[in-house]
Formats: sequence, structure tokens, C-alpha cells
Amino acid sequence: MRKLVTIAVCAALGLVACDQGQQRRPPPGAGPTGPGTTATAEPVRGGTLVVGISSDPGHLNPAITTSGATHTASELLYNGLLALDEEGEPRPELATDWDVEDNGALYRFHLRDDVTWHDGEPFTSADVKFSFEEVLLNFHARTRASLSGVLDTIETPDDHTVEFRFTQPYAPLLLQLDVTEAPIVAEHIYAGTDPQENPANTDPVGTGPFRFGSYTEGSEIRLERNDDYFERDLPFLDAVVMRVIPERATELLALERGEVDWIWNVPGPDLERVRNSPDIDTAQTASNPGGSNCIMTMSFNLDRPVLGDVRVRRAIAHALDRQRFLDQIEFGQGHVAEAPISRGIPWAHADGVDIPEFDRDEAARLLDEVGWRQQDGGPRVAQGINGIEDGTPLRIDFLAFPTFARYGELVREQLGAVGIDVQLRPLEPPVFADTVFAQDDFDTNVISYCNGPDPEIGVRRMYDSSQIGDVPFTNAAQYRNAEVDRLFEEAVRAIDRDERSDLYRQIQEIVVQDVPYMWLVDSRSTRAWRADCGGFRPWTGHFAKAAFCRE
Amino acid sequence: MDPRYLLRRLGQVPVTVAAIVVMTFVLIHLAPGDPILALAGQYGDTAYYAEMRAKFGLDRPLPVQLVTYLGNVARGDLGTSFTTGRPAASIVAERLPATILLSATALIVSSMVGVAMGTVAGRRPGRPADVTLRVGAICGYATPSFWLAQLALISLAFGADLFPIQGMTDARRSLTGIGSLLDVVHHLALPALVLAASEVALTTRLARTGLIEAGRGEYIRAARARGLSERRVTRHALRTALLPLITVLGGRVGMFFAGAVLVEIVFAWPGLGRLLLGSAQTRDYPVLLGIFLVVSLGVVVVNLVTDLLYGWLDPRIRYQ
Repeated sequence: MRKLVTIAVCAALGLVACDQGQQRRPPPGAGPTGPGTTATAEPVRGGTLVVGISSDPGHLNPAITTSGATHTASELLYNGLLALDEEGEPRPELATDWDVEDNGALYRFHLRDDVTWHDGEPFTSADVKFSFEEVLLNFHARTRASLSGVLDTIETPDDHTVEFRFTQPYAPLLLQLDVTEAPIVAEHIYAGTDPQENPANTDPVGTGPFRFGSYTEGSEIRLERNDDYFERDLPFLDAVVMRVIPERATELLALERGEVDWIWNVPGPDLERVRNSPDIDTAQTASNPGGSNCIMTMSFNLDRPVLGDVRVRRAIAHALDRQRFLDQIEFGQGHVAEAPISRGIPWAHADGVDIPEFDRDEAARLLDEVGWRQQDGGPRVAQGINGIEDGTPLRIDFLAFPTFARYGELVREQLGAVGIDVQLRPLEPPVFADTVFAQDDFDTNVISYCNGPDPEIGVRRMYDSSQIGDVPFTNAAQYRNAEVDRLFEEAVRAIDRDERSDLYRQIQEIVVQDVPYMWLVDSRSTRAWRADCGGFRPWTGHFAKAAFCRE
Repeated sequence: MDPRYLLRRLGQVPVTVAAIVVMTFVLIHLAPGDPILALAGQYGDTAYYAEMRAKFGLDRPLPVQLVTYLGNVARGDLGTSFTTGRPAASIVAERLPATILLSATALIVSSMVGVAMGTVAGRRPGRPADVTLRVGAICGYATPSFWLAQLALISLAFGADLFPIQGMTDARRSLTGIGSLLDVVHHLALPALVLAASEVALTTRLARTGLIEAGRGEYIRAARARGLSERRVTRHALRTALLPLITVLGGRVGMFFAGAVLVEIVFAWPGLGRLLLGSAQTRDYPVLLGIFLVVSLGVVVVNLVTDLLYGWLDPRIRYQ
């Protein structure tokens, strides 16, 4: 009997192994295409794209959260009024065109008249008004934070026109209307309910290129082609399956073996191998469904006596060799930060501002000047510094998410070389947010501040003194500069982009002198996909709208 | 068995579980980190956070939250997940079968393999086979399961292409019936083997020691004197030798769950272990507490069953 059981188990495993082997895509090296050939190939219809996602989204309503996990998994189901192209410029989506009047205080959008929700109901301007007034302004943290104070009314003169009226000229609106910042949801589904508890959050109805198929929590989300999509030729794929794979190494192995076709991020140590694989294509981008144009930024707590002195902050900045952060931690993905605003917003990014460059001698000189003296190469101690007892060692802490622990190690090594003792404090995200923003209990930290497509979305919060408080990922440095506050206020009202560009340059010139932060790496992510697939748009949550796979 | 003993043991179950729930509730809520910050993501405003705290009752004093929670649990309501807005009980119930399948398979495999290895080792202590198996057992026990999982993944799944790399099913196919079952078995094999590997060591050592001690018993000498074959003598001895294995079963269930957390992450197995990690990261208290409740209930019940089973298997044992 035992023998029989043994044989049966082995036979079952063997059968499945054979069965699976026949269905699997060809192993690495046996692919039918060379590098880059599929990117220019003619699209084909049909097929299933398997996508690796790192965490379970929990629900599929991107209008009630800024969670990257939800946006990554659900943006193909929805649309914004506008889309952003690879350069971050607005393009028509649910809106065909728009007028800006009253010097930027009134935006009028003309909507497509051929859009239906996945359940067949027509899309109208009432859906847009409902989405903003009842959902986005209540639950989407970024839209709420940016628009709620300045948006006056939303009017719908007819079914295909919607007007946003502001209490003052408001420049950044067009960059806040894509599917990440303002996905439009159906009024007939959500009206009269609590949007956070509506069953449609896990059985969603959108207007996007794919419609909802099924959601097995913790395992996968299946999307099916929307045959009635308003861009008539799209999508090409029959289905997209989002497979939850929390471990990056496993996700990459699955891509290399052909179990998945697309992953959002390639781990740095594997970049070289992936780029050299003939079966995999890659692309770098600064945009993610959760946020874009992110800069790894070291914050100084200006309320701490030691760091309140700009010469100490400047010395620390000079002691950091930022190229090593880029090379050793990011494996070359991105650029050494050249300005406080990401190069991903080219019109606002200021070239040639005077960020302190790596110069240990200058760092030592500044610390000596303040009174932090070093003897015999050991840690520096205070000598004659007002308010600090003589002999006090120059010791600061450095907080980081565990995923950014290597930033801490390099900071400790580099500051140690100029006599600054750094204590590392790795903290999980919820604890980090509470410690830094609610308790203000830190000396320095590192945060990936995502600038967004417009400085008003993700830059102002870092420097505006009104953003000091317990809200996470705002003004960590406790930075106060009335001139900077005024310039930001002026920039949001300035409709002319050249004028805004000039104002943001002035802001960047001031903050690099004050050094409330040190801007380390203008980071990028590397997407990777099977070379027998193509047509991706790696910079957007609509990445697979025009994708195709050759079976 | 004394019925009063049985009733007393059964009565201990709810008390133990309630104590665990109270302790975990307090510890989880005292741990640093705010679920609302994790839930809302970046850029929220103070009023938004205040609204969310009020909505989930997190603005009330901890004792009030605890009493409310215990009252709800007594009525079978584990609360609503902060992140999904769905009942925590449903979320836990959906993920439980995958973990039970993985852990039970690993438990059965490790028990069978461990007893077989322990028997080989214990029959001739000190011989090369015994030494080899003992060293192997120590190595297996000392190998972290997440590392073993990575090795197995790279060599057996990626290199040899014998097993799938991730998940519980093939993402490209919608199978039904026997095809679906075989697909799950194929995906289950590698994570279950990895999870079983470290437990094999414990089982091997327990079975070996038990067999050696049983071999010194008079009934074994009597069996040999009666001229029974060595194979039948071993079977006699095993019956006694396996008693300690049953004793540690309750503890092993807890260990399996702990191991499953790591193995499920590496193999993207959609079970409770992964849910635990995700819920801990987002401070999703209702789901976290639901998981602890289910796991502690499982351990307590298994301990109860093993206690009762022990008495049934060995009639010399009497409970008061």
C-alpha cells in the first residue's frame, strides 16, 4: 500500500511537471526574438500579459487613496480627464480639449461623447462632478490637499462639458487630472454610498482599456479587454493578470523563466544581468503609478541646536560624495541631484544652482569654524560653541526606512570621515512617519520625496512653512523662510510657464543657500519585460494599454 | 478518561484564547506606528487623518477600544480591515486554506520522512548511517528556511525547471477539475518541501532518541526473546518512541506557521503568513488580531487534542 501511495504521488508530480513544461514559454536563450526586435514589430491581437506586482492592493479604487499598490493594480480600469505623455505634458483622454479663462481661474473641459462605463451606462459630465466633489476631494489625499482650498465650484452646463472655477488663478490643474491624480469613477455606482466601503471597490466599474475580471486577494487580479474602449483599436491584449509576488528576487526569476511578462522594478544588483539578457527588454523612467520624479533627499531637523547652524548643514553636505550613492546604492539608476526640483520637470528644474559639492576639506574647515574640533582623527567635540557644553561630541542620528538602510550606512561612513558620529535608526514606514512628522524626534533622515509632474504637487510641501506639522512627507526640516513661502504662493497663481519657471528658479537658489535638505539622487526605476512582448508605455499606469505579446 | 478532566481542559480553551487576544491587542496598539499614516499615504491633511481616526474608532481611549473589540469578537465580529474595508473575518478565512494546505502537507511530509530517518538512525546507534543522519539533521535544523527557500528556488525551480517559481496556480491558464488539482499540487510541492525540511531534523532526532530508549525496555527484550524479527521489534518500539512526537505536535503547529510566513513570501504563496506581514506593515489591526486569534486558537486546540490523544495511545497515562 505504501509503495502504491509513493508511486501515485511521484506520478502525479511528474505528470504535472510534464504538463507544465509543455505550456511554458521557451527557456532563456531559446526565445524567437532578439533584443529590441519586438519593440518595433507590428502589434498582434490576443494573448495574456502576466504582470508582477509587489503587494496586494487591498481594493481597486484609485480615487480613494494615493497608495501605490492600489494605483499600480487598478489604473488600467480607469481614465483621467487628461493623460500625461512621456514628457509630462497633458494630452486628451476623457476630455477632448479645454479652455482656460479668467486668467487661469476657470477651466472648461469638453468631454468625449462616445465613452461608456464597463456596465454599459454612458459617461457624462455628472460623473466628473461627482468624482471630484464626493470622492477625490474627500479621500484622495493629494487632490484634497492641493484643490480643496482653492477650488470654488464645479459646474456641468451640459452632459459633455464641465467647468472648474477657482477662487484665484490656479496654474497646475492640467497636470493634476491624469488617472493617477484624479481617476474618474461612476456616479451611478457610488452615489449615496460610503465610497470607502462600496462593494464596487473590489468589483470595479471603470471606463478604462481593461474591465475587471476577478480578484483573488493576496494572489492575483485578472483584467479583460474592454471591447468598447473609446480608443477603438485598443487594447490589443485579451487579458492582463496582475500576480502578487512580494519578493523581488522571486519576481525577477519568474520574469526570466517566462512565468511573468512585465515587472515594475529591477533590483539594482541584477540590472546588468537583465540588460544583457536577449529575452528581456528594459526601460528607465522617473514616473510610477504612485508618484513621479522622486529625489532621495536627506532632511536636517533645523530645530536641533547643532543643525540650526547653516555652516554645519553645509559641512555635512560637502562631506557627502553623492556619486557613490548613485553608483553603489542605485546602481546607476538616475542622476546625482543637480537641483532641489527634479530634472523630470524640465521647465521648473534649475540648472546651475549652487548645491554644495563633495569637498572634505571645506567640510572640515566649516566645522572648525563653528567650533567642532577634531583631535587625533576621533569624533569632533564642541569647543566654545554658544549653547553647547564644551566636550560634547558631534553626534547625530539618521532615520530611514529599512529599504533605504544602505543610504544610512554610506552617510555614516562619509560623515565619519570628517569626524561626525552618525547613529543609524532604521524604522518601518508607519513608525518613521510618526517619529519624524508627529514627534519631530530626529536629527537627520532620508526620504524619497516625489516631486510629481508639477512643483505645486510634490515640491511646495517640503519648503512651505505652513506645511510644518504632523502630516507625513511634508516639511520634515521645519524650514521657515517667508520669501520662499511668498514665491510659492506667487508661482501657483502665475499662468505663464516662463514666469513660473523664473519663480521656481528663485526658490531653488534660496534653498540651496539655506540647505534645509541635501538632495542626493534624482532616482529612476527600471521596468523590464519579456522581449516577445512590446508596445508598453513604461511611464504610466496605462502601461499596457497598447501592449501586445507574441505567443 | 475522567470526564471532569475533559471538561476542565475544554473550559481552558476560551480562557487561554481570550488572554492571548487581550495581550496581542494591547501589544499591537502600544507598538509605535499609526495605521492611518500607512493607510492614507503621502500628502494627507490633518483633518483627513482626524476623520479617519474617528471613523475607525482609533481616537478613543485604549481600554474603550479593547472592551468594544472583545464585545464584537464575542459576537463573531472581528471588525473591518482598515485597508480594504472588508470584514477581517472574511479576509482571514479566505487565506486560511492556503496556509493549512501548505503547513499540513509539510507536517505530514516532515513526520513521515523524519520518522523514517530516525528509525534508520536509531536502530544502529553510532553506525555511519546514524552519524550521517544526525549531522544532516543538525544542519537541516540550523538552516534558515528563507535561505533554503531561495536555494531551492534557484536550483530546482529556475535551474532544473522542475517546479513553478511562484504562486498557487498557473497565471496563464484557467484550469478546472483534476487539471486544477494537479496544478496546485505542482505549485505546492517545493514550498512544502522547504517548510518540511527544518522540521524533519526535529522529528528525526526525537524518533531516534525515542527508539533507542524504547529499545532498552523489557518488552523489547521479551519480544526479541520470543524470536520476533528485528523489523517487528522495531515496530513495537516505535509505538512508544513516537509518543514524544505527539507531545510536541502543538508546538510544531506554531512553528510551522512561523516558518510559513517566510516560505509564503519567497514563493508568493497566498496564505496567512503573507497576510500577516502585509497587515503588520500597514498596521491593519483588525486583520492582524484576526490572524493571531485564528493561529492561537489552532495551537490551543491542537494542544488539547494531543493531550487527549496521548492518553488514548498510552493507557498507562492517567489524568486527574
